[in-house]
Amino acid sequence: MSIKLTTQAYCKMLLHAAKYPHCAVNGLLVAEKQKEKKKDSHSTPILCVDCIPLFHGTLALAPMLEVALTLIDTWCKENKYVIAGYYQANERTKDFRPNQFAEKVGARIAENFSEAAMIMVDSTRFTMGCYEPILAIYDHHENKWKCRDCNADCFEDWCEAQKITSALLEGRSYESLIDFDNHLDDLRNDWTNPEINKSVLHLC
Amino acid sequence: MASVSEMYDVTWEEMRDKLRKWREDNHRNSEQIVDVGEELINEHASKLGDDIWIIYEQVMIAALDCSRDDLAWVSSPSDMSSSSEQGTCLQELKRQFPGSQRVKRLAGMRLEALEKYEDASKQYDSILQDDPTNTAARKRKISILKAQGKSAEAIRELNEYLEQFVGDQEAWHELSELYINEHDYGKAAFCLEELMMTNPHNHLYCEQYAEVKYTQGGLENLELSRKYFAQALKLNNRNMRALFGLYMSASHIAASPKVNATVKKANVKYATWATNQINRAYQLAGRGTKENKCSVKAVEEMLESITMS
Repeated sequence: MSIKLTTQAYCKMLLHAAKYPHCAVNGLLVAEKQKEKKKDSHSTPILCVDCIPLFHGTLALAPMLEVALTLIDTWCKENKYVIAGYYQANERTKDFRPNQFAEKVGARIAENFSEAAMIMVDSTRFTMGCYEPILAIYDHHENKWKCRDCNADCFEDWCEAQKITSALLEGRSYESLIDFDNHLDDLRNDWTNPEINKSVLHLC
Repeated sequence: MASVSEMYDVTWEEMRDKLRKWREDNHRNSEQIVDVGEELINEHASKLGDDIWIIYEQVMIAALDCSRDDLAWVSSPSDMSSSSEQGTCLQELKRQFPGSQRVKRLAGMRLEALEKYEDASKQYDSILQDDPTNTAARKRKISILKAQGKSAEAIRELNEYLEQFVGDQEAWHELSELYINEHDYGKAAFCLEELMMTNPHNHLYCEQYAEVKYTQGGLENLELSRKYFAQALKLNNRNMRALFGLYMSASHIAASPKVNATVKKANVKYATWATNQINRAYQLAGRGTKENKCSVKAVEEMLESITMS
């Protein structure tokens, strides 16, 4: 039932927040599609392998979000992924609780993927060193979102995630991060961020 | 670390011009402004002439954004005597323009950056005592409310401000954003209507208005949103958001059970046109990248889904 994050997913989430420190940002998390439903499938955690940064600034408008979900859904099908989660970092640093909008999007994703998670980024603990995970993970239970403790267990490899995210932040890689908003500004901007993915792999 | 001029092979004049462009476009690329501005101030201050004062102001605000208090304001006077550090923007400005309201406002902004909101508020109040029409100070006070999460108060104060300064477009836009964050789309639409009235050629306001109407939902609002997406496209045929918006609104209207056959047919036509344009745009942009192929595929699926229904 629980999700885990790869280094690439965590990295790109934080780079997105770092690129727009004065804005709210949001995005999606994708996981590999499970082939069969094993009997004990709910005990194996779902691994979110990648993160698609969506928007920055005014988040609470519908049309572009729907466009993004449609396009990303197609991309997921091509790559045997499924949209497994939603993340959001609010505009105000001290405000890290999910708002109505986050819950709505989370619920929409949960309709297609029952174990969807909603993740809020806690900017108050955001440092260049990335010494601790700064996420709050929410699971959907009976129409409510329940917060789960986020620690090293929520990561495929926390040490690696910490090291690489910190390195990319220091190197200002966030300047070249592309989110869906950037893509809409110029279609040539690639929201899959292949260059950053390469950098992550390179540092692994 | 290599200097900006070395890394990007630019002259000081180009750096100065870049700063001006960022100033005019109101870009909030604070890290870049600090990098370029700090070097310009430290290495080329004498060549800048009177430009230096506005550059100090720009760099100071950017420094606050990046928590570079050493650049914005040196904390102890003893630091000043030893180094040849000229990057103490606020001190230089205070020295050159003592008693200036504009500099006072910058001092207030620094207090805000340090989260000393009460002190900042007092600073702005003192400006307003001397000059009740000082819009900058009033807007900073509203920003403090926003920073403290007091959205309802910020909205109320901004409304009062706009009753007096009805032509302040930046304020109308800020208010529309505050309303959107509170999910009060009706009032956000009203603010955008004000902006569209005074800026009929601005495709961005048109497009944002259309997005708000779409979010409000309901058939009437969808039709309105489609019209404004179309208007935005007319004003700027490269606005991708408007193009996508036109597709989304038209296909939702076509799919609605409440419309008659004529309306449905018309909207299918609009949606199909939009999809073809989107396709074309992606073909033009794409260099056959993998992601692009997926987007093109998604758009083709969109086209299929309309023609089938």
